[in-house]
Formats: sequence, structure tokens, C-alpha cells
Amino acid sequence: MSNQDLHLSDQELLLAADGELPLRRATQVHAHLAACWSCRSRMAEIEATIADFARTHRQTLDPQLPPISGPRALLRAQLAELASQSEPSSWRRLFQFAPSVRAAAVLCAGVAMAALAGGLLLHHFSPGRTNAAVASLERTAVPDRSLTPGATRSVTVSDVCSMPHEEVIGDVSASLRQEVFHEYGIANARAGDYEIDYLIAPGLGGTEDIHNLWPQPYTSRTWNAHVKDALEERLHQMVCEGKLDLSTAQRDIATDWIAAYKNYFHTDRPLQRNSHLESALVAVQRGPSRRRRFPYAEVESSGGHGA
Amino acid sequence: MPPMDSIDELAFPIAAGAARSAQPSEIEREVMDLFEQFRNPLLRYAFSFGIPVHDAEEVVQEVFLSLFRHLQSGKSRKNLRGWIFRVAHNLALKQRYANQRSCDKAASDWIPEEHADPSPNPEEHLSSAQRQRRLLAVVQALPEADQGCLRLRAEGLRYREIASVLGMSLGAVSISLTRSLARLIRADGR
Repeated sequence: MSNQDLHLSDQELLLAADGELPLRRATQVHAHLAACWSCRSRMAEIEATIADFARTHRQTLDPQLPPISGPRALLRAQLAELASQSEPSSWRRLFQFAPSVRAAAVLCAGVAMAALAGGLLLHHFSPGRTNAAVASLERTAVPDRSLTPGATRSVTVSDVCSMPHEEVIGDVSASLRQEVFHEYGIANARAGDYEIDYLIAPGLGGTEDIHNLWPQPYTSRTWNAHVKDALEERLHQMVCEGKLDLSTAQRDIATDWIAAYKNYFHTDRPLQRNSHLESALVAVQRGPSRRRRFPYAEVESSGGHGA
Repeated sequence: MPPMDSIDELAFPIAAGAARSAQPSEIEREVMDLFEQFRNPLLRYAFSFGIPVHDAEEVVQEVFLSLFRHLQSGKSRKNLRGWIFRVAHNLALKQRYANQRSCDKAASDWIPEEHADPSPNPEEHLSSAQRQRRLLAVVQALPEADQGCLRLRAEGLRYREIASVLGMSLGAVSISLTRSLARLIRADGR
């Protein structure tokens, strides 16, 4: 609906206000809003009402909440007791998937597909980014080696190749993400501006370790997350075809992934987006999975919206 | 949309197998961090089921103990916030049911005393307390699922998280929120 004469529905306005539209649609909606006074005022009404409700929700309930200190102490004690009782289970299932899990994951493929159609990534519209933030975005296209040298676990090539590259990826925990942002001195990260990326992809034996994670900007024009994705897939493929040593792949991507890209793709510039899109679509058709990239806002504390 | 916490991720070798000592493990610390972050939002959410606040507090404790077991057994870290709220949702429902069974009339004391008339009246100047009462009265009159969407949204959850907590589709979440907001706007006489 790019036609300026048609007004936007409440539902679409709300989706836009909540940052839930696919990037491309969000761009269209905001273009419409810029030109349409009537939709803009409805949007303002909707946003004000959400904010009102969120505020009311808190203001009525918060005075009734007991202080956190007692419950905190209680939980700490209970956890300690629980931890001392239960023998920690040895780590298992590094590369295993239960069948039911796989089935559920396949259902998610549709979502991944929608995300791809909406601009390759689950990417949220984020208006009003400051110039300072943009400047800091560009700095982190390549991670700081002192903070993020890369970390791996001991895996064999057959471990790495026993499943499709994308399926070994897990989400980084909330607290770890916070730590990484903190480490890089990024305060108030705008939703969707960064992903916490693995320097050495899990599919290449990289671990979820703070030394292997850095905030990668979505907004870098040339050397961005899409491009690095393509490199990871290429390296994984080469390792599994026996054309490349796993440790070499790990070292190259950790040392300078951009140089590695140039080297392995024999190019000085990132290849066309479309060719990446195609390979991503193939991945989706093959199975679930390209869902590792969730904007930071999703793990943010409750303050993310409204008030 | 199915729950998003469906893909297992790498087990965390740090905490597993570590010798038990007086120091809290990595997982204990992680759970405590999440507690700091989500205790109030979860307490508000559980409380809004109309259970007494001390019951809501117990629900929250139980949520984090479950979270600890969940993480300790190396299960998924996908969508942890959604997972946490889902467990709170189920436990709060169970608690409310138990309270009703024991003829302990569920205390719906979270909403201020008198219910304001939700009909819009733009002429009238509303004080902020009156407006709040009116908003809450409108919300209370909504179907339970709509209330849930709205409250989870007020706590800052993304739609896919709300969907996984309430077992709805993404589309249903979006429609529910749109409907509720339209009502709130009408009631507010905007």
C-alpha cells in the first residue's frame, strides 16, 4: 500500500509504533506518515495511549510491591541450597537435536522466511538515532582484538560438519549481552542497531564466551553482518569439503574477518546482496534456523517501551 | 507461532562439572541477574491475576527456581524473557485457581476501589487519578487474553514473546492489542 491516498489501519500504526513491522514496510509506513497529517495524529494518539497505560499499570501496582531485598535474599539462599543438592549434569548434547525440537524449529522457518522477505534480517526501525551513535557504529565493524580475540572449544571436523552450519547457533544470554555492550562502552544501544555476534561462529567451533562476542552494527553499509554471514557459510562449506583446515578457518576469521572475506571470495568488495539472499533462502528451505539475530531490545529490561 | 525456545544451544561448560564450592556458580549469578531485572515486572504481572501479593511473590520465587533448574540441565536459552513470563503466567493461573478452590475469595485489590464509569465524556476535565481509574476499568472489562497482551506489552515484551507466553499467534497478538487500544482511546475521549 504505497498509495498515499489510502490511510493506514490502526493495526499497522500500532505495529509501526511498536517496531514490529518488517524493515521495508516500516520504511513505507514512515514515508506515509511524513506525508499524511491524519495518520500522523492517529499514530500520536495510539502512542500516547500505550504510554498512558504503561504508566498507569506501573503507578497503580508499584506502591503495592514489597521491597526487593527480602525476596532477593530468599532466592539467593534457595538457589544455594538447590545447587548443593543437585549434582550438575555433565555437559552433553553439544550437537544433538531431539526430534520434537527439530519439528518445532521447522515451524519457525516460516518466521525466518518472513524476516528475510522483510529485508533479510529481523531488523527494527529505529528513528532518531544520534550522530554520535552512528559514529560509534562504524567503529565496531571489526571487533577490538584486545576485547574480542575469539574463543573456541575443541571440536573435530566431523562434529562441525555433522549438521548444517546454522543450526548450532544459540542465542546469547541477556546478561552476557549486557556485559558485551558494557565492555565496548555502548550505553543505551538503540534497538536493532547491533547484534551481539560471534566472532568465530559456533558452526566453526566458536564458543559463547565474552572473548568471542562483539557488538556488530547492523548499519554498516558495506562490511556488515550479512557479509560476515556469507563468509561463515563459505568457510564452513570449505572445511566440510576438506578444502580448508578448521583451525585455519578459525584463525582467519578471528584475525580479520574482512580480509578473510576478500581472500576467500576473491573480491575486494562484498558480493551483491542478492547472491547472499539466495544462499540464505536456500538455507531456509533446507531447514530452520537463521534466527540468531535478534535485536538487543528483545532482552532489554522492562523499560524498553511505553513509559 | 510456536514457542521460540525450541532450539537447543550449546551447553554451558563453565558451570557444569565445576566442583561445588561456597562461591555461587555462573548459573546462580545469571539467575540472580535476571531476578534483579525481572522481579518487579513479573510481580506486577502475577499480581494482576488477582492473587494476593504474597502469593504473587511466591510465584516469582518459583519462576526463578525453575529457571535455575532449566539452565542447569543445559536447556535452551532461546527467548528467556518469554520463557520466564510464560512460567509466571502458568503458575499465577494455578495459584488463582487454588485460591478460588479454597473459597479464599481472590483479592482483586490491585484495582483501586470504585470503578469509574468508562463511558467517554470529553467535556469533563479528568484528574490524572480519575483518568487512571477509567483506564483500568476499561482494561478490567476486556477479555482476559486481551488484558494479558496489554499487560505484557506494558512490561516491554515483544509480540513474539507475548505470543509465546499466551499461546497465541503473532497476528492474534497484534489484533488484540489494536482492539484494546481503540477501546482505551475511546474511553479516554480523545
